[in-house]
Amino acid sequence: MWSHPIISFKRGKRIFFNFEGRLVEAYEGESIITALYAIGVTTFSWSPKFKRPRGAFCMIGKCSSCLSTVDRVPNTRICIEPVREGVFIERQRELPFISAERPLLNDQVEKAEAAVDLLIIGGGPAGLHAALTASTLGVKVALVDEGTRLGGQLIKQTHKFFGARNYYGGVRGFEIAEKLSKKIEGSSNILVYRNATAYGFFHEGVGVIARHPKPMNIVFKPRAVIVCTGAMERGLEFENNDLPGIMGAGGAQTLMNQYGVKPGDKALVVGSGNVGLIVSYQLLQAGVEVRAIVEITRSIGGWFVHAAKVVRLGVPIYLGHSIVKAIGSRHVEEAVVQAFDDQMNPIPGTEKRFNVDLVLLAVGLMPDYTILSQAGCIMKWIPELGGLVPLRTMYLETSIPGLYVAGDAAGIEEATTAFIEGEVAAISAAEKLGYANAHLLRKREELLNFLWNEYRQACVIERARVGKLKATVSEEEMEEYWERSIANGLGLPRSPYTLQ
Amino acid sequence: MIIGGGSVGLMISYYLLKKGVKSIVIERKYPGSGNTYKCATGIRASFTSKEHIALMKRSIELWSELRDELGVFYERSGYLWLLSREEDLRTFKTYVSFQNELGIPTKIIDLSEVKCLAPTIVIKDLLAAVYDPLAGKASPFDLILQSWRLLVEKGCKVLAGVEAKKILLSKKGILGVETSAGFIESSTVVLATAYDTVKLLEPLNISVPIEPVPKHAFITEAYRDLFKPLIIDWTTSSYIVQTPHGNFLVGSEIPERPSDKLLNRLEFLRKASKVWTKYFPWMKEAYLLRYWTGYYDMTPDHHPIIGPLDDLEGLYIAAGFSGHGFMMSPSVGEVIADWIAEGRPRVPEALNLSMSRFKKGKLIKEIAVFG
Ligand SMILES: Cc1cc2nc3c(=O)[nH]c(=O)nc-3n(C[C@H](O)[C@H](O)[C@H](O)COP(=O)(O)OP(=O)(O)OC[C@H]3O[C@@H](n4cnc5c(N)ncnc54)[C@H](O)[C@@H]3O)c2cc1C
Repeated sequence: MWSHPIISFKRGKRIFFNFEGRLVEAYEGESIITALYAIGVTTFSWSPKFKRPRGAFCMIGKCSSCLSTVDRVPNTRICIEPVREGVFIERQRELPFISAERPLLNDQVEKAEAAVDLLIIGGGPAGLHAALTASTLGVKVALVDEGTRLGGQLIKQTHKFFGARNYYGGVRGFEIAEKLSKKIEGSSNILVYRNATAYGFFHEGVGVIARHPKPMNIVFKPRAVIVCTGAMERGLEFENNDLPGIMGAGGAQTLMNQYGVKPGDKALVVGSGNVGLIVSYQLLQAGVEVRAIVEITRSIGGWFVHAAKVVRLGVPIYLGHSIVKAIGSRHVEEAVVQAFDDQMNPIPGTEKRFNVDLVLLAVGLMPDYTILSQAGCIMKWIPELGGLVPLRTMYLETSIPGLYVAGDAAGIEEATTAFIEGEVAAISAAEKLGYANAHLLRKREELLNFLWNEYRQACVIERARVGKLKATVSEEEMEEYWERSIANGLGLPRSPYTLQ
Repeated sequence: MIIGGGSVGLMISYYLLKKGVKSIVIERKYPGSGNTYKCATGIRASFTSKEHIALMKRSIELWSELRDELGVFYERSGYLWLLSREEDLRTFKTYVSFQNELGIPTKIIDLSEVKCLAPTIVIKDLLAAVYDPLAGKASPFDLILQSWRLLVEKGCKVLAGVEAKKILLSKKGILGVETSAGFIESSTVVLATAYDTVKLLEPLNISVPIEPVPKHAFITEAYRDLFKPLIIDWTTSSYIVQTPHGNFLVGSEIPERPSDKLLNRLEFLRKASKVWTKYFPWMKEAYLLRYWTGYYDMTPDHHPIIGPLDDLEGLYIAAGFSGHGFMMSPSVGEVIADWIAEGRPRVPEALNLSMSRFKKGKLIKEIAVFG
């Protein structure tokens, strides 16, 4: 434990749990993985075939590297599973087996149905603003999120936001999250489900599993849905890239900024975009030595101010370099870095070795598109947006009428645009549900005008702007797809469209 | 030329190649993308008609060869039919003796034997079971990818992303096929296009009695090996099988009408999980990875339509497998290759499976269809 210059961690009640027969201390409100990291555990499973140790990677429930057995339930994502008094954790050394010699958790699952106007999946910047916007218009909203706390990736941002004043310029991410959560809790029009996973769109409704405080399987019958599922971090190919100690930059942020646990002692950061630069600074704040930042291209990807800050603190940035190999038996001990030529080929003889126990990959994100694809949205591969995204109109409606998308799930961009997209999607949904008025539609035009003609004109967002243009189709074109979707039986159970 | 790059289309091409005939396969999307990659991987000869049994006995021989020749995962790990009603037990006794007469080693087994084959099963509501040790499972991914690779290596063409639009006729027979990539000439055309065969033959005024019936399946995450056989619950028309990777693949019948849209239905998840968590209570805590829907291409007598068309020289059909086209694909491939290269199939029972049986009213009966 160290004292953090910005965050004062409010630790929950002290509790104890059982880790492979050891009694371990933790704080209520932490994820299981955090509690284990805090006592120095960094291997959470072994690959079933070759028994390679696997560490944590994303820390937000989007990858599979921490799947463990919790109270004999295998394949549990312990990065988003809150620690509980007396819970029994075992790591998986081979393919798991489910033992039936105990009371089964799922015997206690309650079933429910809920008819809401608007279901919002994901409570990050886009989802929170969508919920608030819609609720103030009188729309009844249900907001589901997999995390213990609302806020998505805001929770782990300790730096002050750039951008427009009305979009929290100068405010720290986690403070924004706290502020918005409070507002949401205070709204009588919003039902919040935390630790809840929307698992799919079905003919009968949208299925959601809520885990805490009691397990519930809820079938939502919404008239409109906004998907704000965010993004997940990319991996990178190099030798031994699965060694514990190699993780996503965001994963490390979760550990140190959300839970106050140091991810390592000596770090190498791969990638000099804003995420790489900011995480390097935060590592330094948390008392982690940053040995270097490597960047495969010839220029720094992120904003100058962020780069200047870390360079001033003595962190070298190696341009035209990347990691080629990690060395270590159970954990990273060394990282081998090499210079790359303009064709992105490694240049022999340029290897440098760094003695580190932490390698953070900040090499980009990809949209968490899975539930959109499952719902049957028409998807498009757009490299500028990080991969597969749904086609949408300017008003953020996808090819399934009544299903909207906002934030990183619509294509990787950043928090300000996520806030704005959340609002746009909420107004569009409200319009469809009959809550519109001229003032509201004017507001939406203003938002879109600001988004496209001012904010996205900044050169750092250029790439995303190009991508978003590629993903956006006219209402006329979309109408054809809506008809096709309806003909194929794709639609929301209470959508005005499918009520014919 | 073969239209359709599913298991059946590729196996026809494969067995033609064995006879020295090079073919071209065209596939609308990518090989396997039809029903083949959606199937439950099951392979058995324990049917209730001599046609099915004859074709499947040959297929099972060929599956072993495919394992050796192409490295396709294939295992004779058995089928287990769970019976919980007296009347079912009675009927299955007659099936078993029919099958035994035709050399299929099925047998009625008691509940302790069921427990041996599937140790974690709860046998409370069961009466008995039928075990078919000759049956097994194979990987559809291996079958498609390995045969595709070999065909291309040996100079055959497998064109992905090419759709057949229209079959063009000459005075004598077939001229070729108009496709999304232009006209392709061929005097011999095989339709291995499942229910889409109906659409392709409509313009020629040939009506094919195949109806697509929606089917649902889900797969769980991978778990340790728990049982080998594919297990069928006869009462609820449901099945479960563990794949070579360890995932459990589950299917169960819910009410669907022919030609219904493919919809994701919670009703299916509920029914399938209710059936299988009763037998395997631990499954309540298994995570589902994926859920998909596909069609069984059903014929009125649940038997495939294979062979040449009477009045159109050069045109062959291999479709309407009614839920069994994956397991049959090797012998059907061989039989069609026989027909094309030698004029008659080596499995004589295949002669009963041509289109003309519907005109002549010579339908065959098959009862053992499930899922
Ligand atoms: C849930 C489920 C479980 C099943 N389980 C089993 C099982 O356990 N065992 C078993 O044996 N069978 C099983 N089946 C059935 C089996 O999947 C099919 O019978 C088998 O795949 C049929 O193979 P095919 O090559 O005839 O058809 P398909 O695999 O459907 O191939 C036909 C191909 O033709 C292409 N095509 C269609 N029209 C055109 C055109 N105009 N131009 C170009 N290409 C075209 C399609 O794209 C498709 O790829 C199951 C099916 C389902 C849905």
